[in-house]
Amino acid sequence: MLDKELIYLDLEAKDREDLLSQLSDILYEKGYVKSSFKQAILDREKVFPTGLPTLGVKVALPHTDPEHVLKPAILVSTLKKPIKFKEMGSGVNDIDVEMVFMLAVKDPAYQVKLLQKLISIFSKENVLLSLKECEDAQCVYNILYGELY
Amino acid sequence: MKTIIVACGSGVATSQTVASKVDKLCKERKIPAKVMAVDIKSLEQNIRIADVYISIAPSNKDYGIPTISGIPFLTGVGMEETMDQLEEILKK
Repeated sequence: MLDKELIYLDLEAKDREDLLSQLSDILYEKGYVKSSFKQAILDREKVFPTGLPTLGVKVALPHTDPEHVLKPAILVSTLKKPIKFKEMGSGVNDIDVEMVFMLAVKDPAYQVKLLQKLISIFSKENVLLSLKECEDAQCVYNILYGELY
Repeated sequence: MKTIIVACGSGVATSQTVASKVDKLCKERKIPAKVMAVDIKSLEQNIRIADVYISIAPSNKDYGIPTISGIPFLTGVGMEETMDQLEEILKK
């Protein structure tokens, strides 16, 4: 699910909708998801927000149902400027997100172990800070690869 | 044995992860409990058999059982305290 071509640094976006659209477009153009994925992501984020108040670097974890996915993927993106997401769970607080992990999950049962490892990175402040300091995709890839595999 | 239920929007990533984490922590603390992960649509059908609900998706409903936030299990922030809370609830 992890791929160097799916790592984008310093992404610029007007707002959350623009960001999620851009990321969905990337996954669609590369053949990972169906055209229905983008709207599903946007809709889902409104109802089940994915911002997390993690230490070090705030992250968001947008994802949606497997029916919109063709091939599993983790799209990683650091943002040039923080973008507000609503907090997961309460849906009330705003989180200034600096790193987004968009998930395209095709087969939940099969991919759960990897996703669990990804989510466990969120509790590791030093790993998140290292990722933020990366200057290129290779750096991000190496750190994530080491944590996930 | 008590049953803990965790629900999120699509049952794809977060509820499974939180369930797995809670399960591991319960074993470490020797708390006998069964942990189930479901998507929010299946919650209604399954919540009747649960003793505690761990929530990671917004909901206005009161299911009549103790409810705690599952976010600390994803961020690590306040996780031990939330486990203490859970342990207290399960002891009753």
